[in-house]
Amino acid sequence: MIGTNLRRQALLIAAFGIVYAVATAFAENSYYQLIMTVVPVWAVMGLAWNALSGYSGLVSFGHAAFFGLGAYSLALAQIYWGLSPWLGIPLAGVVGALAGLVVGFPTFRLRGHYFALAMLAYPLALLYVFEWLGYQELTLPMQREAPLRYMQFEDHRIYAWIALALMIGAMALTSLLERSRFGMSLLAIKQDEAAAEAAGIRTLAWKLKAITLSGAMAGTIGGFYAVVLLVVTPPAVFGMLVSAQALIVAMFGGVGTLWGPVIGAVILVPLSELLHAKLGNVIPGIQGVVYGIAIVAVILIAPEGVFWKVNDLMLRRRAGGNLDQPPSAGAVSAVVSELPRREKSGTVVFEVRNVSKAFGGLQAVRDVSMKVVNGEILGIIGPNGAGKTTFFNLLNGFIRPDQGQILMEGKNIVGARPYEICAAGVGRTFQVVRPFRRMTVLENVVVGAYVHAASDREARANAEAALAQVGLERDAQLLAGSLSNKKLRLLELGRALAGKPKVLLLDETLAGLGGNEVEEVIALVRRLAARGVTIVIIEHTMQAMVRLVDRFVVLNDGAVLAEGQPADITRNPAVIDAYLGKRWRVANA
Amino acid sequence: MLEIEALGAGYGAVPVLNGVTIRVGTGEFVAIVGPNGAGKTTLFKTISGIVPPMSGTIRFDGGDLLAVAPSARPHLGIAHVPEGRQVFPSLTVLENLEMGAATEAGRRNWAENLEKVYTWFPVLAERAKTQAGALSGGQQQMLAIARGLASSPKLLMLDEPSLGLAPTIADEIFERIVAIHAGSGLTVLMVEQRVAEALHFASRGYVLEAGRVVLEGGHDDLKSNDRIRQAYLGM
Amino acid sequence: MNAAQLLENFLQALTAGLLTGAIYGLMCVGLSVIFGVMRVINFAQGDFMMLGMYVAYYAFGLLGAHALFGTAMGPYIAALLAGPVIFVAGVIVHKLLVSRVTGIRGSALESEGHYAQLILTLGVALVLQNGGLYVFGSTPVSIATPLSSSAWALGPFYGDATIFVNQGQTVAAVIAVLAVLGFVLFIARSRLGKSLRAAADNPEAAIYMGIDVDRAHRLAFGFGVALTAVGGGLLASGGPFQPYVGLEYVIVMYAGVVLGGLGSVSGAFFGGLTIGMVQQLSTLFLPNQLQNTAIFVVFLIIVLLRPQGLFGRAARRT
Repeated sequence: MIGTNLRRQALLIAAFGIVYAVATAFAENSYYQLIMTVVPVWAVMGLAWNALSGYSGLVSFGHAAFFGLGAYSLALAQIYWGLSPWLGIPLAGVVGALAGLVVGFPTFRLRGHYFALAMLAYPLALLYVFEWLGYQELTLPMQREAPLRYMQFEDHRIYAWIALALMIGAMALTSLLERSRFGMSLLAIKQDEAAAEAAGIRTLAWKLKAITLSGAMAGTIGGFYAVVLLVVTPPAVFGMLVSAQALIVAMFGGVGTLWGPVIGAVILVPLSELLHAKLGNVIPGIQGVVYGIAIVAVILIAPEGVFWKVNDLMLRRRAGGNLDQPPSAGAVSAVVSELPRREKSGTVVFEVRNVSKAFGGLQAVRDVSMKVVNGEILGIIGPNGAGKTTFFNLLNGFIRPDQGQILMEGKNIVGARPYEICAAGVGRTFQVVRPFRRMTVLENVVVGAYVHAASDREARANAEAALAQVGLERDAQLLAGSLSNKKLRLLELGRALAGKPKVLLLDETLAGLGGNEVEEVIALVRRLAARGVTIVIIEHTMQAMVRLVDRFVVLNDGAVLAEGQPADITRNPAVIDAYLGKRWRVANA
Repeated sequence: MLEIEALGAGYGAVPVLNGVTIRVGTGEFVAIVGPNGAGKTTLFKTISGIVPPMSGTIRFDGGDLLAVAPSARPHLGIAHVPEGRQVFPSLTVLENLEMGAATEAGRRNWAENLEKVYTWFPVLAERAKTQAGALSGGQQQMLAIARGLASSPKLLMLDEPSLGLAPTIADEIFERIVAIHAGSGLTVLMVEQRVAEALHFASRGYVLEAGRVVLEGGHDDLKSNDRIRQAYLGM
Repeated sequence: MNAAQLLENFLQALTAGLLTGAIYGLMCVGLSVIFGVMRVINFAQGDFMMLGMYVAYYAFGLLGAHALFGTAMGPYIAALLAGPVIFVAGVIVHKLLVSRVTGIRGSALESEGHYAQLILTLGVALVLQNGGLYVFGSTPVSIATPLSSSAWALGPFYGDATIFVNQGQTVAAVIAVLAVLGFVLFIARSRLGKSLRAAADNPEAAIYMGIDVDRAHRLAFGFGVALTAVGGGLLASGGPFQPYVGLEYVIVMYAGVVLGGLGSVSGAFFGGLTIGMVQQLSTLFLPNQLQNTAIFVVFLIIVLLRPQGLFGRAARRT
């Protein structure tokens, strides 16, 4: 994510692990040894929360469910079957993963607040169930004859080292994932789920994988926690504070990063433990207060967390003044007359048949039919509110038409999900640009490339090629949020192109651009068409479009008003009336 | 009455408006036209305080408008009829009008304003007890305008009153706006894509493209200007 | 168990459900007002309820509601007192904390701002719960009133089926219903109530009307926690409670509000009423410990099958 490569990351993790292991060796007091053990435990919980909520943006208030199930699986397996914790901890992980899958499948139908609240209900429901089952207090039996087999060490530092090993495992896993298709897809979902789906990301599948992994991590560490404490009670493992601590260490340190949860745990866990030890008698509940204040402070002062705050500060210092980058070369070099010739094969690649859509009483699109020929540039125009964007949303599967068919290469795609339509070769951009703002330009485009790439490497190569096509290769490492309007438009074009579309739907790509910029983008779109991409472009005005498109379809009031060559359309009285009003035609006739 | 000087504004770091200068005199009817994305709605939102300005000044009635909190601006006499109508759907028509009359002047002249509004838009009187969400698009637009008028404004700002309306309904709305302007002497600032109507009724007009004023002038200068024809029809 | 006994048990549970449900309804209305106007889910709602219980407890004991109004009516006066006290507390919490991440400012934060509100109130909840442990102690307390241990006997019906209606709960339920009716009237008729609804419908347009949306949010937050606190105060004479009690009611309230359709005030009341009945009726065939689990399960089913609620309109801006 942030310039560091995998190797440097691995070295950093290893260095951190060694320092921590050595520090643990010097902790002689059993109280400090316990703290050294608990810090990695909550770091792993934070990483588990982060793997789902940090990357996908779906906030979970219920990670205690996975943690508690892990703890109880281990304890019950050891008590009833005499299972060794060495096997019990992996078992706890498997139980956590299954729980994640079972919880995720129904709950991902929900979004936003509903998702967060539903997640809260799972651990609280389980808490009462385990009390009712009679497991108010499970104690792991002492196994003095086989301490090693049952992880019952005299030297408590060993627990801290095991915890550290688990944490390093979780960190390694996270760092591998965050650079892969997995992490990128989740990040894209977090920033704009609809745009991600339109770029070909199978959002539900990725979210399910994320919650399964997250549940596995939380279950594993829950099992280990049972071994450390030797006693399992429902409030201790299913309680609100467990879910809250997972969320808080991750948010405090920095959401969506490898180091965030670790930083959060290293700062907050010892702080609350020490305060609890010093003041616990005077101020009961001090731990909860510390976590509460920490999260309130983070939200108000640095909602992105400590990691991002420091990272942003460092970036700003490094950038120090040279923020004004020279404009990339090749601007305004395009002249309309130099544009390449294009071949139109005459075969219909995309066809719309009698499509209608109403919202409540409002007929947004009525009985629209059109054919798009391979290699053609078709312009769809119409005044505001004519139903143009609704029409595009029908075409790429965001909404389903009430009636009619949409045929991509002869196959009806009505009812298909947006990512399936994207995979079938229909790419799109948005009227209001929807970049993934916290990702770099290249990463944005890589997300769009996954749909037709077998490997991460291929996706990256396709993305770089797409960036070169739109002329953004020099901006590849900039954050998308920092781009100008024109470059954002180009970025969206690049993201759509990286998925190797056959038909590209462009929604008001020219809106808000100045004179020269319009010419540049027109030249680019024509070059794309010359390479065989069929283009359907929506615009409000005809101004630049007459120089771009082969054919116009004019929408008004949700229906096709006129269709034909640019020269005819601009003289069509019905079109002039729709745009400028009757008065204009009469006055200037 | 309204003096906008070298105004720059936008969302995040990217400016949408670049040095826009616009003047509206008392009693004038001024139209602003231009294609999508030109910054017309952003301009209105900056006047109302929803979008913070980056540079420039806005003066209203001689005072610095930018120093006034957004929710206090309507009390100065600015009524903003937003794009897409934005009536309060769960409130009744009458309650919507009451909300419009939340300003001091609006409360003072409530009975009188209500009568006027009902004469201009009789359908609102008929449907006074209906939830605004249940009205048709044209009726909602009438309600939005009436709601603005209920505040006893000095300046009425209309953002695309014809948006999404069938042509005949839009014509009807236009006629009412013209009648209201003629009848009340209210100052009107209107963003509109139906250029011919907008320029026909307005005393002056501005053409906004890509965040800048590219053309301004009186009614007759603009009506047959090729720049406008080109902006919309590309010829 | 014969049919008459079954009927008796059923009617008994139904009555208890209606009485508890009325108080839950009031609590849900509080949460719903906050969500309806601000589009914020207040995680700390249960803890404001807990504060309401303690305010009622201390108002009854220390401040003399007991001495002034006697043990019979004293607890109810004390519960009503919790309203204004918690209103002020809510307004302060909103002004200092919540307002920084909500309203027009919060909506500029895009999707991240969405969660900022939820997580901020989670922090407030943790501080209130655990701070409450320090201030109020962990020993459960309750308000003793003779009414809560006396009952009217109704019946016998169909032979010998007799049901007992707890007097304390009945008075509490009547007060809760009156409070809800009063608030609904306030929201429907008063100018302030209408402007709160306008701010809820469309905050941007409300600003164009000259409505101070930040103030509307502050008041809504205050009203919301105050209503729930009165509900808490009414429950305070029903049984012992401690500073963590809010958690038990968090899901009760969410379930009721979601059932009624997020943002619908009258829907929230009926949602809460339904949840009270579900809780009590579940005791007919589930062990007592699983009462709350029954609510969670109902909650999950509602959320998964009908997130727009059973009674209300769909919440459009979630």
